[in-house]
Amino acid sequence: MSLYQLQKLIYHVNRDAAQRDSYRRDPAAFVKSYELSEQELAAVLNVDVRALYTIGVHSLLLRPFTLLNKISNEDYAKALKGLE
Amino acid sequence: MPIVFACAASHAPGMTAWTEAAPQEQADNFLGNYRKLGARLAGAKPDVIVALTVEHWANFFLNAMPAFCIGRADHYDGPVEEWLRIPKTRVPGDAKLAAQLIDACFDGGFDPTFSDELLLDHATFLPLHFLNPNMAIPIVPIVINTLTSPMPTAKRCFALGEFLGRALEEIPKRIALIATGGLSHWPGEAKHGKINVPFDKMFLGNLMSGNRARLTAYSHDEINTDAGSGGHEIRTWIALAGAVQSWKAELLAYEPIVPWATGCGLVTFNPQNP
Repeated sequence: MSLYQLQKLIYHVNRDAAQRDSYRRDPAAFVKSYELSEQELAAVLNVDVRALYTIGVHSLLLRPFTLLNKISNEDYAKALKGLE
Repeated sequence: MPIVFACAASHAPGMTAWTEAAPQEQADNFLGNYRKLGARLAGAKPDVIVALTVEHWANFFLNAMPAFCIGRADHYDGPVEEWLRIPKTRVPGDAKLAAQLIDACFDGGFDPTFSDELLLDHATFLPLHFLNPNMAIPIVPIVINTLTSPMPTAKRCFALGEFLGRALEEIPKRIALIATGGLSHWPGEAKHGKINVPFDKMFLGNLMSGNRARLTAYSHDEINTDAGSGGHEIRTWIALAGAVQSWKAELLAYEPIVPWATGCGLVTFNPQNP
């Protein structure tokens, strides 16, 4: 369980322009600085909204992160359908 | 009179980021009133804006999460969000007033964190976009943790506001006091888009009637269930109500705007016997 690390990664990408650039240049290299489980690694590299949400990423980390990854409001809602 | 203006306003990012998604009548009513509120603020000629605000992981993380943090910087950059459609800018800070308030807090039984560098996100920049459009009036942000549990209680927020209201009386400056956040919303959650209109109307009613007993009795669980994770931001409104208890709240607009996924409220407070 390394939810703390996963959320820290997303926090860094969301708030810090330099880290965001670094993430965008090479996501696979960027995520190596964080101690993530295989499941978390896959979820974040695939920007898998449902998986990230189910793992427990705070919704106000997740939504800005997915906005940065150009996920529309409609697609975001679709990804979470049934979890209400 | 050191507090010359007081208002509470929602800050849903859709107001600027996806304005056109909202039904036009709702958007026009809400944003038109937001701009009018900005004109009222300007008319009060404040020297400084003290903002009872929140943030969304712009500065603080789970390594250290302050309940209350007073910004003591000379300036603040933002907004953090590049998708907000508010140009990145720098708003001046009033470090001197901030230092005075921090000292007053420590002398008076409150122990806020203080910070000489805060990035501001839509929680502060969106209200400033409407209320301080030239970003010329300096600000002092007071950030309340409404993001992650445990959070300061409604009672404690009201008490902080009450204390700040008294402390600001001693300041020889014209102060605009603003609160930002709420009302009911479930941002980024599976329930995103839900708005609890009855909750919002009850809360606004309690604010209008200055119902201190009820405002300080809102529990974490009640807010979480009835107003959503975003509803916790009403703590800023409750703090403001504590600061201007003798003033009368006036509802300018309430619109439950589904595409903005938020019960959007605008309330201004007027001195009863100026």
